[in-house]
Amino acid sequence: MIVIKNVFYQYEPEGVQALQGISLNIKNGEHVAVIGPNGCGKTTLIRHLNALLIPSGGNVCIDGLDTKDSQNHSRIRPLVGMVFQNPDHQIVGMTVEEDCAFGPENLRLKPADIRARVAEALVRVGIADLAPRNIESLSGGEKRLAAIAGVLAMRPRYIALDEPTAFLDPISIKRVMDLLEKLHGEGVGIIHITHNMAEAAGTNRIVVMNEGRLYLDGAPREIFGQIDKLQAIGMHLPKMTELMMKLKAAGLPVRTDIVNMEEAVDEVKKLLKK
Amino acid sequence: MYHTGLFINGNSTIHRLDPRVKLAAAVILSVMILGVKAPTVILLGLALLGAVLAGRISFRIIGQAVKPLLFFAGLIFFTHAFFSEGEALALITLPYLKISVSRTGIAEGGLVVFRFLCLTVAAVVLTMTTTPARTIAAIKFFLRPLKTLRVPVDDIAVMMMVAMRLMPVLLMEKDRIETAQKARGYDLRGSTTAVRLKAFISLIKTVLLGVFRRADELAAAMEARSYNRGERTTFIELKMRSIDYITLAILFITGGIMTGLNTHF
Repeated sequence: MIVIKNVFYQYEPEGVQALQGISLNIKNGEHVAVIGPNGCGKTTLIRHLNALLIPSGGNVCIDGLDTKDSQNHSRIRPLVGMVFQNPDHQIVGMTVEEDCAFGPENLRLKPADIRARVAEALVRVGIADLAPRNIESLSGGEKRLAAIAGVLAMRPRYIALDEPTAFLDPISIKRVMDLLEKLHGEGVGIIHITHNMAEAAGTNRIVVMNEGRLYLDGAPREIFGQIDKLQAIGMHLPKMTELMMKLKAAGLPVRTDIVNMEEAVDEVKKLLKK
Repeated sequence: MYHTGLFINGNSTIHRLDPRVKLAAAVILSVMILGVKAPTVILLGLALLGAVLAGRISFRIIGQAVKPLLFFAGLIFFTHAFFSEGEALALITLPYLKISVSRTGIAEGGLVVFRFLCLTVAAVVLTMTTTPARTIAAIKFFLRPLKTLRVPVDDIAVMMMVAMRLMPVLLMEKDRIETAQKARGYDLRGSTTAVRLKAFISLIKTVLLGVFRRADELAAAMEARSYNRGERTTFIELKMRSIDYITLAILFITGGIMTGLNTHF
């Protein structure tokens, strides 16, 4: 379990508090979306999860290991995989498999074990065919998948992703989201920052942040039911929720606590049968 | 787009050779290219041509790699042609400077340029047929004895890897900024050298800033994947196969023959 207890963080001694007393528990295997306006501290928060940032106040514990104790870092880093917003800033190797091997090499595994982990990670992500390819020859979506494979090769229990679908075309977005769904199914805990409400609606839990604080926390249906609160900080609803609200406003008797396409279709079907 | 130093995926004999053999070959060839007399250099050039063919590297790509160096090659050639002592060719004499092209100068210049181009091609053959990780593994192998002298061989290897990774990034960053400048109507065609120089400095500044920011992120990302200074393992296991021994044998035998021939010329 990830325990975030009353965490404060300041980038510069005299600067603004990027995090202002956040408390949050994330259970094993949970799929959490972190949403919120730009500059609300989402990236700062997830960088605390594998001890890239250490809280100025409060504690972050990963499976009982406090990030404040630097002795724990070598155990925390393989536990929480970190996928950066821009894969170009994360990929160290020149080819897909070289990059994938970077983490296990740091863990000082034997060559045969490293190769096994690289092969496993590439298969899990579905890019085994790209193994020998030069990173610069990949598309944006493929680079993103390669970055995720590089993290999976560490066999993490949790993966934190910073806007994994940003700047991708619809097909690549689907590939990334399907992959996250699959990893979640395999029991990997997923914490993922997004600006896409439909993506957030597909998770178990949404954490809304605002100005360095926890603003809302709950299941997607609960969160998207609090329209006024979301609109107060400039957040939108998923398109499907918005559609149902417009239908209701037009006088049709539909539910508005709907967050995805399948539910919307069912609701409209019901309406037509009446 | 191809940038010098980029690996190109392939499955030729040269691609499959042990990187240590290739590195040794490149070093030996380079020393010989610089050291031997004219006729032997031509033979070395032919040997390199063989390597290019065996590596199935397209001449177009070799051309791309050599192109940025042509200016220097030209400079070297003309310096030699004009400033070497020897029998003057009456055809071109610069009247006021009283210097003229000499026959020996042209021959010498041509030879130096040929050596220079051969070196470039040798480097291109090595980098294009060997992934950086394998090249680094080979360098690490040769540096290993230095570990006893407490030289941080593993750190050096990672530094090389990151440098190789950032090289194309640097070039792409430059292209990106140039395009962005052009898109906003910034055109240097027809402007003076001073203006161009100023523009170049501002471009370099922007590129460096971008690269530093990027290096910072990369450092964080490396840390996130458990990178620590000091010992690390590698997934590359270097194994010498028969083809590697054969190549080494050929290398030493032909090297010996050429050195022998060289003393006769």
